[in-house]
Amino acid sequence: MNLITFMTFAILVITILTLVFGILAYFLYKVRESKKKVHVAEEGYEEILEKKGVPYLFLKQVRIDDGTPR
Amino acid sequence: MPFAIILLLLSLTYLAFINLTELYTIFQLIDNVFVSIAVILIVIFTSLVILRYLILMFFSIFRVGLKTEAESRKKAFHSHLKVSIIVPAYNEEVVIGRSIVSLLHQTYPNLEVIVVDDGSKDHTYRLAKRYESQRVRVLTKPNGGKSRAINFGIEHSSGDLIMVVDADSRLNDDAVALMVQYFDDPGIGAVAGSVYVVNQHNSITRLQALEYIEGLNMVRNGQSFLKLVNIIPGPIGMFRIEALRKVGLYDHDTFAEDCDVTLKLLAAGYAVDFESDAVAYTEAPEHLLDLIKQRYRWTRGILQAIRKHRGYLVRTQGRPSMTFVLWYMLFESVFWPFMDIFATVFLLYITLVTGVNSLLFFWWSLFTILDLAGALYCVLITKEKLSLVFYAILYRLYFIGIINLAKIFATIEEWMGVGMTWGKLDRKGRI
Repeated sequence: MNLITFMTFAILVITILTLVFGILAYFLYKVRESKKKVHVAEEGYEEILEKKGVPYLFLKQVRIDDGTPR
Repeated sequence: MPFAIILLLLSLTYLAFINLTELYTIFQLIDNVFVSIAVILIVIFTSLVILRYLILMFFSIFRVGLKTEAESRKKAFHSHLKVSIIVPAYNEEVVIGRSIVSLLHQTYPNLEVIVVDDGSKDHTYRLAKRYESQRVRVLTKPNGGKSRAINFGIEHSSGDLIMVVDADSRLNDDAVALMVQYFDDPGIGAVAGSVYVVNQHNSITRLQALEYIEGLNMVRNGQSFLKLVNIIPGPIGMFRIEALRKVGLYDHDTFAEDCDVTLKLLAAGYAVDFESDAVAYTEAPEHLLDLIKQRYRWTRGILQAIRKHRGYLVRTQGRPSMTFVLWYMLFESVFWPFMDIFATVFLLYITLVTGVNSLLFFWWSLFTILDLAGALYCVLITKEKLSLVFYAILYRLYFIGIINLAKIFATIEEWMGVGMTWGKLDRKGRI
């Protein structure tokens, strides 16, 4: 196998992987965004107060993804 | 270095010749109408891309050459023109302080800073208020989007020139002074500045850094040779207030308000220039999904802006330059990503059908050499690290494929009218 054939084969494999990964990444992004929307919809403060029938909500600090406290 | 660029351009010519020969062989070998059409399309597309690179590079070289010593000496203060810097901010508590401080360090004396808190849910307003002084005003309004926040700031401003700066950006100290000098020419409606990636921590941000310097120093410098810069970037742009008022300030109907307002200015007959030494340092997305999110919004926003001005695509309406700009944008945002992926899939097919055909390698090499030449030229005329040039190989190997796929999906969704939101990115506070 000469160098050009080897390089062609390598690029062939990388290109196929990139195309598959690119499509997957896009749908992962869509799934993440749709999850975020659901999350935001559940976060309405007054709605939760009304639903729970309590005057206050006690919030707990959690860590998400990158470790930044929110 | 110039020798390296010439060497790369010679390799480019050689590879273009090999690619043409190989494509012609396929054209003759496979007797199929679809393959023939695909080969013709790929030849046209590749020629257009090479032409685009070469023309922009030559325009850029001319433009850099025109910035003579005399022109740099022109960097005197024009204190009679007051500059109002508008900083729209939504949930920017991590970066707002540093952004305001960089504006207060500007060497241009006659300016005011107006921070518009667009109904942030975090402490942006409270933190910005700490910097309030004679030169800095902090306003707040209910959340309504970036374009409304900018217009709100403009309505409360008193400057002859409006500068819009993103809250996640930090300017170099002479950015305002450098940009103001362009407004001596009454035909200039706006001036764009350079945007550099500040958080070059991983391969994704370094690839974006390379993309930014190529986009700025080749594309925008090239466009500014004709005074037809098509996008004033969000992190740094300056406008003549009369020009903005003439075109009705920012509109709220696209997700790329900076592109839309630039097109409105070009359509109104104003020239749009570029100052490469006025620099804004900004945070680029550090994760792939955030990058896809950003490019998705940019693509759809640009398509929305093109659609608004689509009348110019078929009729020049007395502005042939506007027609040229719109076709150029359509090529870059739609045709290029589609054709790139189409050509890649076609070459994969050919490679698999004919055994391991070397055309795939030569085609990839052609574009990589083109990217390397562009990257080397851009690194030469900027202070960016030489190591960025080598990222041009990774750029062509996988990065641009993933980005182009996201652009294609965004284009299809825009065409189908799928709903979308702004998609704000989380800041890491690296400016």
